[in-house]
Amino acid sequence: MSSIRIWAASALAAALLVACGGSDPYVPGSGSPAGAPTTKATFTSLVSFGDSLSDVGTYAPATSLAGTGAAPYFGGKFTVNGATSTVWVENLASSLGLVVTPAEVGFGTSSVKCPAAANPALANTCTAYGQGGSRVTDPNGIGKAGGALTVPVATQIANHLARFGNFKSSDLIVIFGGNNDVFVQAGTLSAKAAQIQADAAAGKLTADQANGLLLNAQLEAQGELKKAALELAGYVKTQILAKGGKYVAVWNLPDSSQTPYGASLSAQGKQTLTGLVDIFNLWLREGLTDVPVQLVDANTNFKDAYANPAKYGFINNTVPACDAAKIQVITRGAVTDGSSLFCNGTAGAPYNGLRTGADLNTWQFADGVHPTPGGHKLIADEAVKVLRSYGWI
Amino acid sequence: MKTQLHLLALAAGLTFSVTAAQAQVNILKGGAILYETHSKTTGIKGIGIPAGADAKTGNATTLLLTYERLIDQNIGVELVIGIPPTIKAKATGTVAFLGDDILSAKNVAPTLLVNYHFGQAGDTLRPYLGAGINYTRFTGIKSKLAPSVDMSDSVGLAVQAGVDYAIDKQWGLYASIAKVQVKSDLVAVASTVLTTTIDFKPITYSIGVSYKF
Repeated sequence: MSSIRIWAASALAAALLVACGGSDPYVPGSGSPAGAPTTKATFTSLVSFGDSLSDVGTYAPATSLAGTGAAPYFGGKFTVNGATSTVWVENLASSLGLVVTPAEVGFGTSSVKCPAAANPALANTCTAYGQGGSRVTDPNGIGKAGGALTVPVATQIANHLARFGNFKSSDLIVIFGGNNDVFVQAGTLSAKAAQIQADAAAGKLTADQANGLLLNAQLEAQGELKKAALELAGYVKTQILAKGGKYVAVWNLPDSSQTPYGASLSAQGKQTLTGLVDIFNLWLREGLTDVPVQLVDANTNFKDAYANPAKYGFINNTVPACDAAKIQVITRGAVTDGSSLFCNGTAGAPYNGLRTGADLNTWQFADGVHPTPGGHKLIADEAVKVLRSYGWI
Repeated sequence: MKTQLHLLALAAGLTFSVTAAQAQVNILKGGAILYETHSKTTGIKGIGIPAGADAKTGNATTLLLTYERLIDQNIGVELVIGIPPTIKAKATGTVAFLGDDILSAKNVAPTLLVNYHFGQAGDTLRPYLGAGINYTRFTGIKSKLAPSVDMSDSVGLAVQAGVDYAIDKQWGLYASIAKVQVKSDLVAVASTVLTTTIDFKPITYSIGVSYKF
């Protein structure tokens, strides 16, 4: 009898062991946001946070024709500028029947917040906070030393709360930030890598030591991007959702290596850039898992457009539409990198910086990384498409 | 498994006569075990990790304790437990430069076996064969590459072959060799997320002392 009990106990133990097994460890980044609204809204404002891709003219005074900071301006947006040139935030606003103006305009030590408020009817339109060079949290963005304001997304949100008090449930809030964190970390990493490779070539390091240091440098860059992405997700939760924001869409990052700038990099450089973008996106997704927002997959959308340009109406996605040599002449030698901030496409104008034969709509890129008006339309069209799919518009 | 169950139910039914005869039905064994892994992974995958990154687990020795309850003259149910040994892994493939100690974990691995003992009670040498189930849980997982590492539990089959040598009515020596299925999904979280599945393919060699009562 006792042996029957033992057998029964053993069988039970075995069954329990089987039941315990197979529990899969959690893989960060494998979840999704959840609980965002599914109902149609009547939006009264488009509130946009981000960087140069979402900049609707912060740095226009740097492109003053008179060189005094006063209008008229020949540039100001990171695209091919012109009377009808708009960036995706403006396109999205107009498709919602809204007007959006820069939250701040200026350069160097002089800037004005909400310049549109000079006209009281437009006082509530200055909700486009994106600035060229801005990062997620670090105020030292790209171009800061040269006078760019680079107010980080964290402060952009704080500025909105300072001016408007809270977010409203009729605000459409769009956040597209982190690209410059990737560029900064990629720059730091490639400088470290160059030093390590030089030391290895000079015999100061063994191959194993060099590989170890390279991996460490990469892990450090990844660590900074993990931090930035989780911070961005944190701001969405604690500074937007907790302060009245209801309709919130967060963009992940497109692969910066699939740009004319990226094409100029070595295979390893491209791979590094792709990896850093992917790390940011992984931790952004992780940070927003189960958070009631929508995560817009710009990465997949851009990849598809880069691989299938014709499908999106592009005939050229490898050459910048702006001519760096022309821009250098127009800026009297001040701008040598062909930045589209100083690129104007007005036919016949003396400040026209368009490359001969380039087109504003069928060429995707204005400079190394920024879209033409046609490229911005790609982002805006996708935005409208996904907002519809969420049932928001 | 089904036939085994039938066999055991049958065996259980036969035990009355044995227990009535006051035979020795309990065997305790203590010894040393070498846990030798022949691991294969699915490769270490993660953003920024070079293709061809891999790792290989090493061997470990520890102390072992088993208790076997004989159901009849030939069949016994054995539970094997041990002091959890530390298994280490070294980097291989394109990340071999990372060195010899990229992961360590203790494996808690109770195994429940049904043994068939050849010969008869009282024989000096009795070989045996066993089959059963192993449960392995990994604890104290550490990696210099990631602050947080999780490994899934493993449940798999175990088979063993051994021999008992009787010194007297109570005491004896034994040696056994076993093959166990141990597979675990690993997720290491640092600034990147590393995933792999490790098939440990362990073969264990144990030797020690037995006591019957």
